[in-house]
Amino acid sequence: MLKLTSLQASYGPIRAIDGIDLEVNKGEIVCLIGSNGAGKTTTLMAISGILKADAGDIFFEGGRITNLPAHEIVKKGISHVPEGRRIFPKLTVRENLQMGAYTLSSGKRAGTDEEGLIAKVFDLFPILRDRRDQMGGTLSGGEQQMLAVGRALMSGPKLLLLDEPSLGLAPIMVSKIFRTIREINNEGVTILLVEQNAKASLKLSHRGYVIESGAIALQGSGEGLLHNEDIKKAYLGE
Amino acid sequence: MLLQQLINGLTLGGVYAIIALGYTMVYGILELINFAHGEIYMLGAYLGIIFLGIFTSLGLTAANFPLALLLTVLMTVLFCSAYGFTMEKVAYKPLRNAPRLSPLISAIGVSIFLQNYVMLTQGATDKVFPYRYGETHIRFLSVDLTALQAAIIITSALLMTGLHLFQKTRMGKAMRATAQDKTMAALVGINVDTIISMTFIIGAGLAAVAGIMVASYYGIVNYSIGYMAGIKAFTAAVLGGIGSIPGAMLGGILLGLIESIGAAYISSEYKDVYAFIVLLIILLIRPSGILGGYSEEKV
Repeated sequence: MLKLTSLQASYGPIRAIDGIDLEVNKGEIVCLIGSNGAGKTTTLMAISGILKADAGDIFFEGGRITNLPAHEIVKKGISHVPEGRRIFPKLTVRENLQMGAYTLSSGKRAGTDEEGLIAKVFDLFPILRDRRDQMGGTLSGGEQQMLAVGRALMSGPKLLLLDEPSLGLAPIMVSKIFRTIREINNEGVTILLVEQNAKASLKLSHRGYVIESGAIALQGSGEGLLHNEDIKKAYLGE
Repeated sequence: MLLQQLINGLTLGGVYAIIALGYTMVYGILELINFAHGEIYMLGAYLGIIFLGIFTSLGLTAANFPLALLLTVLMTVLFCSAYGFTMEKVAYKPLRNAPRLSPLISAIGVSIFLQNYVMLTQGATDKVFPYRYGETHIRFLSVDLTALQAAIIITSALLMTGLHLFQKTRMGKAMRATAQDKTMAALVGINVDTIISMTFIIGAGLAAVAGIMVASYYGIVNYSIGYMAGIKAFTAAVLGGIGSIPGAMLGGILLGLIESIGAAYISSEYKDVYAFIVLLIILLIRPSGILGGYSEEKV
């Protein structure tokens, strides 16, 4: 479904990823783990088009999407929940969700029921229903994360890119978010997950990639990586 | 007397507010003080004269004056919006990722260019608005105002209401989202370039209407009127809190009121000074403006 071939991208003068090869199949949860600054976030940014790739290619459902503008990539069915959630602070919860459906109401997929989609997000995260007329910026961290995921689902994505969804959340919220990721996946959405919380994300994922200094160092099934001695030492603290 | 001055101030303030909206919207999205915005207002005044002249020579003004005026406004808005759109594409878009000083200098360049362009093509002398209208006096309570003044106040109010309603539309919400976080806006599928263009088009359209209103009100225009109007509107935007739309409306109206009351009760010699005294006081006491705050919504 998604395929990266020798992808390179830079942050200013610094090459952040240097030849990433990665594949995500339809229906999978794939996680990308690695230490700070290894290039996880950069990889997602290159996929969703907010960072230009220097070299290499990105294919989605057989078509090349390398360096398309971000707003075109959303229309192809890739939704990105960026690091730090980036809720629109001065739009209400409802308006944030409506913005998530921005691509729907224009053009091809017209006639979709925005209200129905919002109701679905509210069913997934009931707390958002109570908060619907509150400004996004007034929500707690956990609520903002739910809103960020909900907003990304509004465009009806085929592939969801999640960047550090558990970062800065209380433990109870972390397990809630991970449960929800599985639920979303069960509904047929393919997921590429970037996480520092290697243990929880490997348990959740079908397959995983380990990224080190901008390149893939290791890959395997979630279960396999979880029991790999090197990974245990470096990322799981065992 | 006071009531009379309030009406005069409201007329002036409505115009300032309409121009200030263009400043504040562009600032909200690009954090750019578009110093060339006042020139769009000046172009609006000139284009208004030109189009009204064309419709007069076609005989339309004599046959149906309201229709001629309406067409003049529409054509002027169309042309000014095209100017605003082009200005952004030529002078600001290439500098989108440049240091913040660069687009500011570019804006001053556009301003100088447009002033000289109009001076060379239209002449350096004052132009007279070819048609006097709305001179019927309306007596209302103890106030005496002309139909034109009433029309200016009503038009300003309608435009502000319109903009307020626009913010609730899909495009308006996309504009607010873009002002808050451009990267995230792109990630939900908003074409940020289109939104920025729209902002310039709307701002320029509003300035065009303000230009026609002032040209009709004072009956005279000059290629340099954009400078003072621009500075006044900028003051109004800062007064209300730059980046805030309600702030620009409030700031514009307050500024108009301060000017006309100051002119009536203190001295009309210092008419232009009051605006800047107020600006100084506001910047000292509340630098973010009346409605501005670090958390205030932009656009």
